[in-house]
Amino acid sequence: MTTTTPAPAAPRLRKNAIPSGKRRNGNLVVGIILIGLVVFAAVLSAFWTPFDPEGVFPGELLLPPGAEHLLGTDNFGRDVLSSILRGAQISLIVGIVAVGIAAILGVPFGIVAGMNPGRLDQFMMRGNDILLAFPALLLAIIFGAVFGANTTTAMVALGIGSAPSFASIARSGTQQVMSREYVQASKASGKNGWFVGVKHVLPNISGILIVQASVSFGIAVLAEAALSYLGLGTTPPTPSWGRMLQDAQGYLYVQPLLVVWPGIAIAIAVLGFNLLGDGLRDRLDPRMQVKR
Amino acid sequence: MRSFTRRKSLAITATAMVASLALVGCSAADDSSDAAASTELVVGLLASPASLDYSTTGGAAIPQALLYNVYEGLVKIDNAGDIQPLLAESYTVSDDGLVYTFLLHEGVTFSNGSPFTAESVKFSLERVADNWTANGPSYLDPISSVDVVSDTEVTITLSAPSNSWLFNMAGPVGTMFSPDGIDDLATDPVGTGPYDVSEFTSGTSLELTERDDYWGEAPFMSDVTFNYYADATAQTNALLGGDIDLISALTAYQLIGQFESDDDFAVYEGTSTGETTMTLNNQSDAFSDVRVRQAVMYAVDRQAVLDTVNSGYGSLIGSMVPPTDPWFDDSLVDLYPYDPAKAEALLAEAGVSDLTVSMKLPNLPYAVDAGQVVKDQLSQVGITADVTTLEFPAVWLDEVFTNHDYDISIIAHTEPRDISAFAAPTYYAGYDNPEVMALFAEADASDEATFVELMKEASATMAEEAAADWLFLNPNVTAADADLTGVPLNAPTLSFDLTTIAR
Repeated sequence: MTTTTPAPAAPRLRKNAIPSGKRRNGNLVVGIILIGLVVFAAVLSAFWTPFDPEGVFPGELLLPPGAEHLLGTDNFGRDVLSSILRGAQISLIVGIVAVGIAAILGVPFGIVAGMNPGRLDQFMMRGNDILLAFPALLLAIIFGAVFGANTTTAMVALGIGSAPSFASIARSGTQQVMSREYVQASKASGKNGWFVGVKHVLPNISGILIVQASVSFGIAVLAEAALSYLGLGTTPPTPSWGRMLQDAQGYLYVQPLLVVWPGIAIAIAVLGFNLLGDGLRDRLDPRMQVKR
Repeated sequence: MRSFTRRKSLAITATAMVASLALVGCSAADDSSDAAASTELVVGLLASPASLDYSTTGGAAIPQALLYNVYEGLVKIDNAGDIQPLLAESYTVSDDGLVYTFLLHEGVTFSNGSPFTAESVKFSLERVADNWTANGPSYLDPISSVDVVSDTEVTITLSAPSNSWLFNMAGPVGTMFSPDGIDDLATDPVGTGPYDVSEFTSGTSLELTERDDYWGEAPFMSDVTFNYYADATAQTNALLGGDIDLISALTAYQLIGQFESDDDFAVYEGTSTGETTMTLNNQSDAFSDVRVRQAVMYAVDRQAVLDTVNSGYGSLIGSMVPPTDPWFDDSLVDLYPYDPAKAEALLAEAGVSDLTVSMKLPNLPYAVDAGQVVKDQLSQVGITADVTTLEFPAVWLDEVFTNHDYDISIIAHTEPRDISAFAAPTYYAGYDNPEVMALFAEADASDEATFVELMKEASATMAEEAAADWLFLNPNVTAADADLTGVPLNAPTLSFDLTTIAR
């Protein structure tokens, strides 16, 4: 009965399928650079932005890019560059909190299921499958309608929504670890489940969890942008890339570049986290090392 | 699974990028290849009606499509805002203003074939008291009796003279229904109007077909389709792309220039009755002091709000009265000039510092945009507004409109002559001044000249006491194919009147 478990991707064959510590990992490098850009923007904007990204400047509406406003201004007269920089904060915060919630809920759940094969495992994982069938974005929209649309409900909903995938990954990793000799030995020497779970299982599945976290981070950033685009995410005037996209849509014929900037920002962040996930998988995923 | 998810999210990003670039790249396709003098008209609108029964479902969408097109009353409001006879051939009012005698047109039939007579008038008006659950049943309260004199003559007696009654009779509550045509109003409206509903798909479209047994002058357009769009951009794109012929109540003001510069289109800018209102909860701790409300009035630069939210289209009104009403007072427009220093002084006088208020906005683009401008301006006089956006209509209606759990909200009040309703103490603004209510009552029962004077006095009092901040009046912008004529300029009622449009 492992058919419904989302199996991790089979390792892809490459010219140099043998990873080594010194091998250049292009995905990882590009991913880190892109995420570095986003983190830099978020940190920088906490202390300094060229203009106030939350103010309204009626005299400077919809200016084209120029010397003073590098990326122009939007329909509120706000400097787009400042908004993009500040928007990075929301994206990162949402990603961190959503992934944190997902990991805290999903990982223990998956480990417990993986360590207890049989009825308990089946029961837990079927429940997990039901949740897995429910898209995180839909959950976030429902949360937004019920509890009011803001960044907090979006983060919590996205976190809860992505927890099942963490549970599935943690469980399949746990099952592999449980068949290893050191776990058998540890069990034989009378260690209890807590000890095995925390000392043996968790450290040995941390690799795939980090990969999953990185990928989920990208998804959360995209989901926050989608929710804000729908008016269910970050409350204005706090800058959010998704809402910038929504606001800019109405001005497509007047100032088309306004759509491009937040689009690029979202693309950079999501691409960065996906490449990072890819790169980390090459480094950390134990299944990659099986091939060795 | 993991790699699948990852690839999918990458694909979504890529698609989003391509889509935005593609949209940037494409230019306006001006391909309006309509056959010459076609009698088919496609109108693009924003809010779709949920049902077709405006006696039980509120909102502007149903009367917009049906009033004067499918349904008619004894009188109608013409495009200049004046009352004209419609199903009544003529009417007379007794000297004491209590008895109205209507002489009805002969040979009028409903779309189900039943004849329209004085009995239909009695039936329709008496039906309102018990069966009208949407806005406005109280508009007919002045009626004390409806008496059938003959098939084509009916007298309506009022319990007290009322200046607003006949105006309201031209709206939805004055609609004439057929006693054997009210079983299925939500999907199958039966009226005396020039059109009949042929197909209705909620959220998508509503099709009207000309009736061949209409009593009056046949309209030029034989088939009219209302297409409903989720957002203003899709709506304007549809007009540019030739899918529709006309946009009524256009709200993408930033795109007006697009149509003005194109010879294939004509833009009409008239007035509406939609006052975009920043309501201050007069009963809340923050705004129960009139000085704090006045401080807000001085702190808000309404011209900047209009420029930002509406790209400058519309007008400042200063009260809840559009210029089309006879009691509009243009001196109120400048009652509260933008003066942050005076706002701060008033706040200090009221002993208020570090004021934090809740700003609960419906998730409608204009409201959220206006909210951001106001929040920024309030912050400059030391008032912090915590913004939350509420799903409209359900959550906003519940939290703000029904439970009054808010300090500031912004919404457009679109009904004509809605100032007296706004002043009611139980209304969500919580404005409570018995003298103003007395003025409205007295005005309604007075002769024409006194009526206007008293209405002016009441609206001025409300403005002086800062019952709300009437940010601006929305324009009624219509963009249409250039070959259309008779496009209604103003929107003095909720109806989008099709009867004058020709090609």
